[in-house]
Amino acid sequence: MIDTLLIDCEQPESGVPDMIRRPDVGPRIMTVGMYDFDRVTLDDFRALLVSMHCDQLYLSGRRDRIEAFVRAGGTVLASGHVAWPFLSGLDHFQPIPDYRVADLEVRREREHPVWRGVAPQDLTFRRGVAGFYGRGWHRPPAGATVIHSLGPRRLPLDFSYALGRGRVLFHGGNDLWTYLGAGNSAERMIPQLFAWIGAGADA
Amino acid sequence: MSLAILHGGTYYHAEAILGARYRDRFERVIYAPDLKPGDLDGVGVLIVPDRLNPSLLRRHRPLLLGHLARGGTLVVFAETQAHAWVPGVDWTFRPTNFWWWRQQGATPAQRVVRPDHELFRFVDPAATIWHFHGVLRPPPGAEALMVVPPEPGGRDDGGCLLYDDRVSTKGRLIVSTLDPFYHHGSHFMPATTRFLDGFLPWAQAVARGEAVSPARAAASG
Repeated sequence: MIDTLLIDCEQPESGVPDMIRRPDVGPRIMTVGMYDFDRVTLDDFRALLVSMHCDQLYLSGRRDRIEAFVRAGGTVLASGHVAWPFLSGLDHFQPIPDYRVADLEVRREREHPVWRGVAPQDLTFRRGVAGFYGRGWHRPPAGATVIHSLGPRRLPLDFSYALGRGRVLFHGGNDLWTYLGAGNSAERMIPQLFAWIGAGADA
Repeated sequence: MSLAILHGGTYYHAEAILGARYRDRFERVIYAPDLKPGDLDGVGVLIVPDRLNPSLLRRHRPLLLGHLARGGTLVVFAETQAHAWVPGVDWTFRPTNFWWWRQQGATPAQRVVRPDHELFRFVDPAATIWHFHGVLRPPPGAEALMVVPPEPGGRDDGGCLLYDDRVSTKGRLIVSTLDPFYHHGSHFMPATTRFLDGFLPWAQAVARGEAVSPARAAASG
């Protein structure tokens, strides 16, 4: 059953094609072109996935619509750096000037079903390169739960918060589906994301 | 003539194009969904930054080709599916190796083959090296500026990462599989900042008719 809407930005190495090909999650996803977003009825879905490649200026013009979807019980997963907030609770990206590898170390602040069994080390590094998962931070809204932070200053990286009857999961770095094919525990994020979506806002 | 650039409302275009470091380089910044006839009047060089949503570029193809037909310069970076809308572009996918520099004794596969080209009076060839997104086969008559050898897995016969094409249209096409705007705008990979530090002044010079390669100056002088 299709229950998740993904905005497609036509990036071949974005991980989206890999995710859609997976038999466990692919059949649950409908993609919509970035600029066809107005043609879909959000009420038909449980979740909306907003990738790092989305046109945030466009989405910020649809903020009321996205927010109404969440407040009515929907789930939004948004990734990337925020330049144009498109949902209550999202604030602008804050860089870490002249960061070093230690500043990019992902720290788990709170357990969350999407990251169960995922080693933070597998998020910090992809093939030995740090920074894909996060290289800056965002100020979470009051009442948010910080799931991961970055570096010794424990800057907020991933957090979740309630909005009306729905929920927002924000990840301040590269899309979680880019970790498909990582060959380590980071691959658990995508099936666990869909299990979490399926469990509903009460999970 | 002026230097113009499209942006796609992504966070990395916001940082790289509208951010303080480069904003003043551009006489005109156009939000790509809003591009309309007349917007490119007086534009000498138009940059299509990497990862601009290809659906917009296909939609605006008549305006972009019109710019070339008027003799304008169009610069097209990686992951914009240029092969689907730019004349003469022949692109082959190659999986991105972003970790090559971590391997022991690593040397980059990328090579600048025309260091005398005017661009490299502005851009240090070392600043062109991070990774790339597929390879190009330049059309006959175009100048290949950067190349790579065949992929070790045999996927391709090698190819070009950056070329200067003055033959396929009445204008000039600079086509590349590099993605500097995405990385600079993501605060990720400092070589891309060094690349843009040189590339944008060059693009500005081209727009103003100030950049002429030594070889061309000698030929015309």
